[in-house]
Amino acid sequence: MTIGADQVRHIARLAEIAVADDELPVLAKQLDRIVGYVAQLDRLPADEDAAPFNAGPESLRLRADQVNPWPMIGGPMAMAPESADGFFLVPRRGTGAEA
Amino acid sequence: MTSVARIAERVRNGGETAGAVASRTAAALEDSTGLNATLHWSRELLHRRAGEITERVSAGEQLPLAGVPVALKDNIVSTDEPTTCASRMLVDYVSPYEATAVTRLREAGALLAGKANLDEFAMGSSTEHSAFGRVRHPLDPERVPGGSSGGSAALVAAGVVPAALGSETGGSVRQPASFCGVVGVKPTYGRVSRYGLVAFGSSLDCISSFGRTVDDAARVLAVISGPDPFDSTTVDRPPIAPPEPPRDLRGITIGLPREYFPDDLDPGVRAGTDRTIAALKELGAELRQVSLPHTALAVPTYYIIAPAEAAANLARYDGVRYGQRRIGPNGDIRALYQATRGEGFGAEVRRRILVGTYVLSAGYAAQYYAKAQRARALIAADFAAVFAGGVDLLFTPTTPTPAFRAGEKTDDPVAMYLADIFVSPASLAGLPAMSLPIGRSDGLPIGGQLIAPMFHDEQMLAAAAVLERAVPAVEEVR
Amino acid sequence: MTWETVIGLEIHVQLNTRSKMFCGCSTAFGDPPNTNVCPVCLGLPGALPVPNAEAVRLGTRAALALGCTIHRRSVFARKNYFYPDLPKGYQISQFDQPLATDGRVEFESPERGRVSVHIQRLHLEEDAGKSLHDRIPDRTAIDLNRAGVPLAEIVSGPDMQSPAEARAYATALRQILVYTGVSDCSMEQGSLRIDANLSVRRPGEPLGTKTEVKNMNSFANVERALLAERERQVALLESGQAVTQVTLLFDAASGRVQPTRSKEESHDYRYFPDPDLPPLVLSESWIEQQRATLPELPDAKRERLTSEVGLPAYDAGVIAAEPALADYFEAVVAAGVEPKTAANWLMGEVMTGYNESGRFDVAPARLAALVRLIDEGAVSHQAAKRVYAELLVVDEAPAAVAERLGLTQVSDTGALMQWVDEVLAAHPAEVERYRGGETKLVGFFVGQVMKRSRGKADPKGVQPVLLERLAAPGL
Ligand SMILES: [Mg+2]
Ligand SMILES: [Zn+2]
Repeated sequence: MTIGADQVRHIARLAEIAVADDELPVLAKQLDRIVGYVAQLDRLPADEDAAPFNAGPESLRLRADQVNPWPMIGGPMAMAPESADGFFLVPRRGTGAEA
Repeated sequence: MTSVARIAERVRNGGETAGAVASRTAAALEDSTGLNATLHWSRELLHRRAGEITERVSAGEQLPLAGVPVALKDNIVSTDEPTTCASRMLVDYVSPYEATAVTRLREAGALLAGKANLDEFAMGSSTEHSAFGRVRHPLDPERVPGGSSGGSAALVAAGVVPAALGSETGGSVRQPASFCGVVGVKPTYGRVSRYGLVAFGSSLDCISSFGRTVDDAARVLAVISGPDPFDSTTVDRPPIAPPEPPRDLRGITIGLPREYFPDDLDPGVRAGTDRTIAALKELGAELRQVSLPHTALAVPTYYIIAPAEAAANLARYDGVRYGQRRIGPNGDIRALYQATRGEGFGAEVRRRILVGTYVLSAGYAAQYYAKAQRARALIAADFAAVFAGGVDLLFTPTTPTPAFRAGEKTDDPVAMYLADIFVSPASLAGLPAMSLPIGRSDGLPIGGQLIAPMFHDEQMLAAAAVLERAVPAVEEVR
Repeated sequence: MTWETVIGLEIHVQLNTRSKMFCGCSTAFGDPPNTNVCPVCLGLPGALPVPNAEAVRLGTRAALALGCTIHRRSVFARKNYFYPDLPKGYQISQFDQPLATDGRVEFESPERGRVSVHIQRLHLEEDAGKSLHDRIPDRTAIDLNRAGVPLAEIVSGPDMQSPAEARAYATALRQILVYTGVSDCSMEQGSLRIDANLSVRRPGEPLGTKTEVKNMNSFANVERALLAERERQVALLESGQAVTQVTLLFDAASGRVQPTRSKEESHDYRYFPDPDLPPLVLSESWIEQQRATLPELPDAKRERLTSEVGLPAYDAGVIAAEPALADYFEAVVAAGVEPKTAANWLMGEVMTGYNESGRFDVAPARLAALVRLIDEGAVSHQAAKRVYAELLVVDEAPAAVAERLGLTQVSDTGALMQWVDEVLAAHPAEVERYRGGETKLVGFFVGQVMKRSRGKADPKGVQPVLLERLAAPGL
């Protein structure tokens, strides 16, 4: 198992994280080290099994259908990096060159 | 340093005002600046909060934590100061809502005393991965306090506050507690609400407490634990009761898992645990050698599950609704995402998001994520089998070595991960576990770990309180 | 040689709840942007989902109505992708352990008669927010009021063979969901959204490459869009080109389908169980209780209206199309109106009003009282329609309205006799001709009596009186 620059580029794109070209080799090496380390789970014998483990309650508690907004101080626009007329704003999809 | 119980009692009966506690705490926070353990606090806030406590005390409210200063790890949201997660992504971010644990602390009369530094988004074991600089070990500034709750641990160890909240995903409270020589308690998963704890690995995350003593840490847990309608993963159990320790440990069987005492264990750590095991025997506990055969799988399992969950949990930091935004070269939405996230996250967070994305991606999920789920079940089953066999508690070292030097493990992420080798198994199994100081080696604290069956938090705390009386925390073990 | 069409639909319906799927925010439609939001549906750091019991109940009822197997244990999963109106960067949905699987919908295909479409699965999920692209220059405006609204996604098998059949399936499915009260199914308000997969192949050959068609905002447009897409694929294949796997948007104005502009990204959603939500576990008894309390479904209703109530199939189809209509019909019948008469009223005046206002403005009992006036001969059928129009606007008994408008028919023999005598007196020549054997003049005399009575005479009562007087000598 080896992770190369192409693979790093692919997963960085899935994760929407910019990675400069000159960082790729170092990052690839680090990720390869980590993934190589966790790959030791391959040694897990196929016949060894236990009941699936779930942390927390066995089953979901459900809430009654009531309009009762969770407490929040101030409106959402106060936090927004860019907003107008009560909307959050982002660049229009497709503006600029497609990556 | 006065105990939590004593401070609360004095403030309740007028022996000391919350304002006086606030002044004292402000002075201590100022003195501790060199540790870089706090990311935000202010004298004004401390006094405002103290004023509210004083009013409630005068009104006759019986507040269990009246005037007790409690620091918050800066990944637990509070509404009157920033919550940054030690990330550039959330510089200046002030949460418009409050974590359940914080609400419960406030209602109990605690004096919220600063937001503590951490590894960015709680990812790390040394508090070197903070965007705002590393935290220094209170006993040796060249060393790390452990992490990711290193700021909280250092503040308690330095006597700045008697108690603090940290958070655990894979040992992030027990490991720094061990390094700093304080008590750190991780409750059973689901006993403390995660509402308002900034998510890292949701199936593992637990708000946990630090104290100078078992009782200090337990009293904080007693206040913040209990079911919460805002967190679907809390369990319907009453809050954790503060321990009433028995005289000794007669009738209690303590397991010593052989996988936690490897040949290459640090000699100081070994000497510390040997001395503690002798003390346990003297207290009347029955000791039993046991085996948890899948222990070696814990760190690799953890480093698949936690990053996978983290990759999803951190997707919300996209520069659209809050937080820092970078525009990027092309000015389109994807450039915005990539620049915001590329520049907003530090190196370790970026690595973990990428690993988490990788292990869940098409073609790899079966090989990594699915296998890790199976390994997690096996690890949990190991514990269950030992406890079912009549063992009440497990005793182990908390960490393989005392606090290491800053920079020692930053070049090799895997070496850093291995610092959590003894703490991550209990996290994966959702079990209550804690570290308490069991002596020092060359001046550095050594921690001993207790692990209990699911929902046996109280029994674990009670045994720890007995043990704490028997084992001097600051004595050299060799 | 012909082409076979293979169509499957993925339908998202908004579950009819007051609050969102995972938080207490309102699901109200049309509120100012970003006013129904909270830490949970904004995806704020540290916020956690808490599921809505009613969404689970409605999803279960929908699945039961579709004949699905309900899984006692299902799991919420995170579907990971970045989009500005998806606050958490993942959608909470269900993946490999959905709420329900393996149902079917039966309906009349326009081409094949009665057909059955397999429902592969029904799962619960949360909706995303809304992106408005034309609101602010160069900007996409995001409104998160919709974010977190509960949805059921219903996935059919690739069982439909024509665009018209796809439309008929969607219509049948909608009827079931409205009947069970699961959803309003309003395409205008986005509470029902249809995506389609379509491929074509030569008979007997394996399935062709499918494309996905989105943005079909009415049932008619589902058919139009799929016709356009089928034509496009056939044209490609017949000119020797290949169909590529793309997503297309239907443009209702031009009637054409256009590939989405953004480069086709490999959809790698990295599903995994949501660690914030333990498994959803339903008890057998609760599921059975839901099954037992399902209302009569459209098919059963149609069947009963024909076989038991005795309506023609066409009438039953029209009346059973909407539960509100069917309920109204049954109430009118229960109030004593003969079923076919009630059906005629429903498909006439009543439906016209209902389609305009979305309401039934005349209570079933009042309509029944009006119909009784006709049966008793107190008003003519024509006059009754005028009375009905008045009932829409005034709160008065039908008989009083007929009286006030002077529409009450007279069947009293004395009064009739007077009008008859006047008419006969006014037309001596015609009386002479009648008595001479020209009996078809009866119709003329009846018309004259109606005219003289200004429509008040009961035509059924006029004829016997007329015949009697004509037969009587000496007049
Ligand atoms: Mg969907
Ligand atoms: Zn909400």
